[in-house]
Amino acid sequence: MYEFTFHQPETLDEAAQIFAHADDGQFIAGGQTIVPVMKQRLAMPSDIIDLGRISDLEGISLDGDLLTIGAMTTHAEVAASQDVKKAIPALAHLADEIGDPAVRNRGTIGGSIANNDPAADYPAALLGLGATIHTVTRAIPTDDFFTGMFETALDEGEVIVRVSIPVPEKAAYVKFPQPASRFALVGVFVAKTADGVRVAVTGAGPCVFRVKEMEQALDKDFSAAVLKGISVPDDGLNSDLHASADYRASLVSTLARRAVAQAQ
Amino acid sequence: MEKYGIGQPVRRKEDVRFITGTGTYIDDVAPEKLTHAFVLRSPFAHAKILSIDTSEAEAMPGVLGIITGKDWMAEGFTPIPTKSGVAKKIDGSPLNQPERHCFAIDRARYVGEPVAVVVAETLNQAQDAAELIEVDYEELPSVTDARRALEDGAPRIWDDIEGNFCLDFELGDKEATDKAFAEADHVVSLDLVNNRVTAVPIEPRGAVAEYDAASDSYKLQNATQNVHANRATFADVLKVPADAIHHVAPDVGGGFGAKNSGYPEPPILLYAAKQFGRPVKWINDRNEGFQSDTHGRAQFSKVELALDKEGKFLGLRTRTIGDIGAYCWTVGPFTPTGGSARTQGGAYLIPAMYYSAVATFTNTMPTDPYRGAGRPEASYQIERIVQHAAETLGFDQVELRRKNLMPADSLPRKTPMGLDVDSGDFPEVFERTLKMTDRAGFEERVSESREKGLRRGFSIAPYLECTGGAPKEFAGIAFEKDGTVTLRVGSQSTGMGHETSKPQILAHTLGIDFNKVQFVQADTKATPIGGGHGGSRNLEVGGNAVLKAANAVVDKAKVLAAHLLNSNTDDMEFADGTFTDVKTKQTVSMDDVIAASFEKGRLPDGMEPGSLDTDSTFEREVISCPNGCHAAEVEVDPETGAVRVEHYWVIDDFGPIINPMLADGQVMGGVAQGLGQALMEQIVYDDEDGQLVTGSLMDYALPRADSMPRMELGYYEDAPTAKNPLGVKGAGEAGCCGAPPAIVNAVLEALREDGVTHIDMPLTPEKVWRAIVDAKR
Repeated sequence: MYEFTFHQPETLDEAAQIFAHADDGQFIAGGQTIVPVMKQRLAMPSDIIDLGRISDLEGISLDGDLLTIGAMTTHAEVAASQDVKKAIPALAHLADEIGDPAVRNRGTIGGSIANNDPAADYPAALLGLGATIHTVTRAIPTDDFFTGMFETALDEGEVIVRVSIPVPEKAAYVKFPQPASRFALVGVFVAKTADGVRVAVTGAGPCVFRVKEMEQALDKDFSAAVLKGISVPDDGLNSDLHASADYRASLVSTLARRAVAQAQ
Repeated sequence: MEKYGIGQPVRRKEDVRFITGTGTYIDDVAPEKLTHAFVLRSPFAHAKILSIDTSEAEAMPGVLGIITGKDWMAEGFTPIPTKSGVAKKIDGSPLNQPERHCFAIDRARYVGEPVAVVVAETLNQAQDAAELIEVDYEELPSVTDARRALEDGAPRIWDDIEGNFCLDFELGDKEATDKAFAEADHVVSLDLVNNRVTAVPIEPRGAVAEYDAASDSYKLQNATQNVHANRATFADVLKVPADAIHHVAPDVGGGFGAKNSGYPEPPILLYAAKQFGRPVKWINDRNEGFQSDTHGRAQFSKVELALDKEGKFLGLRTRTIGDIGAYCWTVGPFTPTGGSARTQGGAYLIPAMYYSAVATFTNTMPTDPYRGAGRPEASYQIERIVQHAAETLGFDQVELRRKNLMPADSLPRKTPMGLDVDSGDFPEVFERTLKMTDRAGFEERVSESREKGLRRGFSIAPYLECTGGAPKEFAGIAFEKDGTVTLRVGSQSTGMGHETSKPQILAHTLGIDFNKVQFVQADTKATPIGGGHGGSRNLEVGGNAVLKAANAVVDKAKVLAAHLLNSNTDDMEFADGTFTDVKTKQTVSMDDVIAASFEKGRLPDGMEPGSLDTDSTFEREVISCPNGCHAAEVEVDPETGAVRVEHYWVIDDFGPIINPMLADGQVMGGVAQGLGQALMEQIVYDDEDGQLVTGSLMDYALPRADSMPRMELGYYEDAPTAKNPLGVKGAGEAGCCGAPPAIVNAVLEALREDGVTHIDMPLTPEKVWRAIVDAKR
C-alpha cells in the first residue's frame, strides 16, 4: 500500500472541504473494494476520507410505502433490519447473501452503488425496485444512475447520502454465484411495483440492466410461465473464465423464472 | 490412562494454541533489527532478461540492498538439484535437467519466477524500491499446454533441450498387455485430464533468516514441511556445510506438498542476512502464492481397459503426458512417471498392465507433489474407465466393480506394477461402504430430486493407495526429574495433530500420563535426522519410530524395576504402566521407575542417572498400501449446471487407528481437496501469452464449508499390515484419491439420461450446463 493521509470528518461539509483540498482524494465507506485495490498497489490516493463518522449517512426508516436507507448502512444492518424484512424481504435476503460476515459488517449500501461493480448485488435491487439515490446535491432515479462498468451519474466528489425505495407489491432476488469469488455470476431482481414490473440483471453485462421484454410480459401476467421463450441476446454480455456470454444469457432466463416464482 | 491411549479420540493438544491465536507462525517470528525482503517476479511467461538497472531503486529510503541473478551467479552459487526418484529415461540416459538457480538469470521461463530481491527496513519500502527496478525484457513466444509443448514447432523453453522433453518412462508388461487387448471381447478408451491445481495452504509460504558472523552460521525459520532435506539442499546451493544452518519450522499452517520442496527464496534470504548483516523476513502474499507455490496433477492421459464378455478385466493400458512446468522441481519429474504408475489398476485384479509417460516442460510454475502425488491421478484413471465401461457396455456399475475387486484370498499379491499389496479385504470394504449408502432408498430420492427439477446420481469408488516419503525416522525420549518427558521427532506436523497422536503412542506404550509429554519437532538441532512430512508417512514411519524408542525405554526400565523389587529381569512383566514380578506378584509403576532412575542410590551397579533416555531410528522396509472405498450421491441442476454433493460415505483400511478423531480429519480434509479438484479448482494460464489467469482467490475457486456434503466415515481395522510394528498404513492422502472419481462418476450417472458421457474436471457449472446442451444437439 502506498502512503496516504487519513481523514475522519464528522460532517458532510467537512468531508467536501477535505476532498476539495486533496490532490487525489478518495472517499471510503466500508472499504471492501478500495482497501484490497490499495493493498495491491493498484490505486494511490493522496487522501482517504472516511465517511464513517457522519451521522447524516446513517439509519433505516420505513415511512408508509417508502423505505429509506442511509448510505453508510452496512449489509449486515440491512439484512437484520425489521423494517427491511417487513417491507422488502427480498432486499434483506439479498443483503444477507453478499460476501461473508466480515464483508457484510464493513461493506455499505452507499459504497456498493457508488462503486457499481458489474457483479455487485445492490445495483440489481435498486434498479429493480425503481429506487432514488439522494446525494448531497440532488436526487437521481436509478434508471439514470448506473451508467457503465464501475461508472455512475455521480459527479466528482458527490457523496451519496441515502437511498429511498418504494415498497413493491412483490419482489425476489435470485443469484447464481461465481464459484470462486461468489459475486453474482448472474443475479436477477424482479419486482412488481406500483409502476409496473421491473426486471434488473447484474453480473451478466458490463453494467446492471433491465430486461424490458420480460417486464412487458410480466406486466400482463406475473408468472414464471410467461417468461418461457424470452431470452436476452448474448451480444454484449460478459465472457470470462467462469462463464461465456451464452451461458450467462441462459442463466438470465432461468434465474428470472425462478425469481418470479419466488416473489412474495 | 486409557483415555489417552492408542485408539482413543483424544482432542488435539495443539488446538488450544491454534484457535486462541497464540500459535507461532512464521509471520509471528520477529527477531530484533528485522528487515524485510520483497521478491520481484517475472511478469512474463517467457522472456529474455536483457538488463536490470537497480540504481534508482537502491537509492530509495530504507533500502539495504538489491540482489539479482547476476549478483547470485557472481557468488558462484549452485543450482537446486532435482531429487526425483525416477531420474533416467527408458533408454537409460539421465533425464534432461536444466539448471534451476534461485533467480532467473538471463531468461525468465514462467510468470512469477524470481528476478530480483529487495531488502529494506520495511516491506513497504522494499515494494516502493522494487517498482523502480528497471528490467529490460524481450518477450519470447511461450507454451503453457503440455500437449502443445510436445508438438513440432512449439516454442522451445530450453535451448539445449529438444522438444521440451524431460524424460520418458514405462512400467509393466507391454507385450502381455497388448496380447490381452488383442484377445479381449471389449476394449474401452477415454482421454482424461487431471487438472492443474495448487494447495493454497491457509498460511502462505515465508521465512526468516539470520546470520551470526562470530560463528559463521545461519538460523533459518521457515514455513516448510521438511527442515532436514531442505537444509541439505540450501547448504549445497550456498556451498556451506549443512550444520552451519540451523533450520527450524515454527507452527506451519498447512502444507499438502506445496511446502515440501527446495524453494529459491530461503537460500536468497540466508545470503541476504549475511550480506546485509541483519535478519531478513519474507512472506509470500496470497496472490504471489498462486504464481510461485508448486502446482500439482497437470496430467493428460489416454486410458484403455480390455474386458471379456462377462466383464472381467483383462488388461489396462495408460499413456500420460505430465506437465512438469519450466524446470525439474524437487521431485517434479517423479509424479507423472513412477508416482502415477504404482497404483495403476486400483483395487482390481487386472492380470496385465502397462503404464507409459512423458514428462514435459512448459512455461508454467513447476509441478511437485500435491497430496497424493500420482495416486489420485491413477485412482481417477481406473475409476473413470471402469464407469465408462459399465455405461458403454451395459454393465451395472456396482456389479462390474464387485466382479473385479481383488479377492481377499488373492493377498498378499504383487500387482503387475510391482506394488506389494499385503493386507486388506477389498470386497468386504466395498460391501460395507455400499451398505451405508441406502441403495434401497435411492430411487425414491431420485424422484424427490426430479420433483425439484434436479437430477440425482450415485457412484462408488474403491481405491488403492501407497505411502511414500523418507523411509527413515528418528525419535528421542528424554525424562526430566519433575516427571515430564520430552519427545523429539524428525517427522513433522503442519496441522495434522502429531503433537497429540505421537504422545498418545508414547504414553500408551510406557503407561505414563499423556499430559506430561512435551513434543518437539521440525528442528535440525533437536534431531539428527528427520523426514519431515510427505507421503502419508507420519504414523507409518514417525509413529513406529516413537514406538521403537518407547519399547527400548521399557526394556531398560525393566532392568531397573527388577533391581527395585529385588527380582530377576526375566521375571518382570510390563503392562498398563506397571512392572510385575510374575513369581512374587510384587509391582512397581513406570512412574516410580522413572523417578528412581534419577536417584543414584536406587540404581543397580553400572546404571547411571538419566539412563532411561533413548534415541532411536526406525526404517521402513516396504511401503504400505492404504485402501478403502468412497461413495457419493450428488444432485445436479440441469438448467444452471450446478452440482451439489449431497451425501458421502467412506470406509478406509488404514490398519489400526491411533486416533479416530484425527483420522476423520484427514479423510474429510482429503475429500474436501478431492471435491475441490473434481468440481472447481483449476490453475489456468492464458494460451496466447502465458499469463496466469487464476492469480487470486477471486478466480481460483476453493471449496468452502458449505460445499461439503454430509459425510459418514468408518474404518476397517481387521487387516493390519505386517510391514511395520504398529500395523498402520498411512491416512493423509487417501481422501483425495477417492473423491474425484466418486464425485465425477456420480455426476455423469445423474446426467446419463441427458446423453452426457464425459466431462473433464473441474465440473464447473458452465461445463456441466454446456455438456447437457451439447448432448441435446
